[in-house]
Amino acid sequence: MTAVTPTAPRGTGLGRAVHAEWLKLWSVRSTGWSVAAMVALGAGLTTLVCALVAPDLAAGQTGEPVGAFITWGLLFAQVTAVVLGALTVTAEYGTGMIRATLAATPRRGTVLAAKALVLSGTLFVAGVVTAVLGWLGGNAFLSAEGIGLSLGDDGVLRALLGSGLYMAGLGLLAMAAGLLLRSTAAAVSVVLALVFLVGNLVMLLPGALGEWLTKLMPGNAGSRIAVPESFNPLLLEPWTGFAVFAAEVAVLLGLAAVAFARRDA
Amino acid sequence: MIVASGLTKRYGDRVAVDDVSFTVRPGRVTGFLGPNGAGKSTTMRMVIGLDRPTAGTVTVDGARYADSPAPLRAVGALLEARALHPGRTARAHLRWLAASNGIPAARVEEVLGLVGLEAVAGQRVGRFSLGMGQRLGIAAALLGDPPVVVLDEPVNGLDPEGIRWVRSLARDLAAEGRTVLVSSHLMAEMALTADHLVVVGRGRVLADCATADFIAEHAASFVRVRAPRPGALADLLRRSGADVTRDGDELRVQGADTVAVGELAAGAGLVLHELGLVRSSLEDAFMTLTAGSVEYAARPAEVTR
Repeated sequence: MTAVTPTAPRGTGLGRAVHAEWLKLWSVRSTGWSVAAMVALGAGLTTLVCALVAPDLAAGQTGEPVGAFITWGLLFAQVTAVVLGALTVTAEYGTGMIRATLAATPRRGTVLAAKALVLSGTLFVAGVVTAVLGWLGGNAFLSAEGIGLSLGDDGVLRALLGSGLYMAGLGLLAMAAGLLLRSTAAAVSVVLALVFLVGNLVMLLPGALGEWLTKLMPGNAGSRIAVPESFNPLLLEPWTGFAVFAAEVAVLLGLAAVAFARRDA
Repeated sequence: MIVASGLTKRYGDRVAVDDVSFTVRPGRVTGFLGPNGAGKSTTMRMVIGLDRPTAGTVTVDGARYADSPAPLRAVGALLEARALHPGRTARAHLRWLAASNGIPAARVEEVLGLVGLEAVAGQRVGRFSLGMGQRLGIAAALLGDPPVVVLDEPVNGLDPEGIRWVRSLARDLAAEGRTVLVSSHLMAEMALTADHLVVVGRGRVLADCATADFIAEHAASFVRVRAPRPGALADLLRRSGADVTRDGDELRVQGADTVAVGELAAGAGLVLHELGLVRSSLEDAFMTLTAGSVEYAARPAEVTR
């Protein structure tokens, strides 16, 4: 048998782990399809909804802010971010590949950090591209009615970049859920229910309790950064909300890291 | 060299591995033998840090596996044939593994050739047969050209040609001075492959010896004699130095062959009704040794009329 030249391993532990995770992510078909679906669905739906509401918005008949529509399609792109985030770990538990991963990189903190970096980086870029394409598409219709939004307008640039940040955060939230639950179906259901169902249901609770729960739910707190103006005046300010969301993601990731380090593979 | 000392793993109340100590030395194939559920896989998973021991330690060349900066270059392991994502190609699987340990990508092509998977390297592994998956697992184990190789049930799912290939691969790796640990629940397979045996049952080490010694000790043959005067014959045989156990009119003789027994009986004028050599197989020896340590034993079906 031929021998590997006895050189020291190239790169640092984390660098090598990130390289491995990057190769893993892009060597299965589902990643390409998911990201393509995210961009197409997100940008397409933003364009579509802008085309539909532009005349009414311009006539001032809706009472809704124009900025609330310019990243509207992200609502659906969230699903892809959640699925991709959960699959990053649950696909490995489902196939048994987690054992190959941990045999190759026994330091579990390194594996987790590498997965988080690759996932959040990918979702940030995909989220920004989705938002920018949606803005370009939707703005064509809004501008035709004289109500277009430019990058210099209040909150527009922040919302485009914020879309990437929110997608990355959602993916990490789903990844943490995946590590704790070790099942794609369970992780995706729990995170989607938290973001889409619970986040809206708490609005129905009366008084200050309902108001604060609404502000603090991860989907509500985190998504404000991705729109220049919101439909919902109750929500926290964009960066405040995102800080709350980031803290929630960090706590769940911390719990997941502890479980990951303690459990047998 | 793999050194396990006092290795114990409990899952709740169940003890999977119970105070196991053994040493796997370089330059020979060590067989890790035991019935299903004996704790072989759990032990091997603890060797490469997938499972955390409840007590005890296991080191590879003096260090904990997890402390190696590039563990695939220290230990190559085939643990489960299907530790693979079905949607990834064989080459892509080896590529990410290589990247994780800073192994040059050229080495991927080398090991693909080594296990005979070059032609299907671009195919998704979900379409692989059990045997092809096993070959890919072995390719992954050899990727880092490691001095220590651990193979858990490597011949599972392989055809006879594949089984022979794994056998000679294990022997070649050992001949190159590597430490080779191969597990199996098949005694006959281990008799052909391993130089040394660690036999486990119910999580405990039952034997740790050279394969040849194990065979000599446990797979001994004996001479069966039936005679109308078994007592007199037994005395005669014992005086000649043989070991004799009596069961009714049947004697089991060890330490004398059929010729010697026949001559002795004839010399003393004793009548024999039956004289024959009974060989117990290695498989029988293994079954006897591990009897009572089999986790899931089938009981003979009751005959109903």
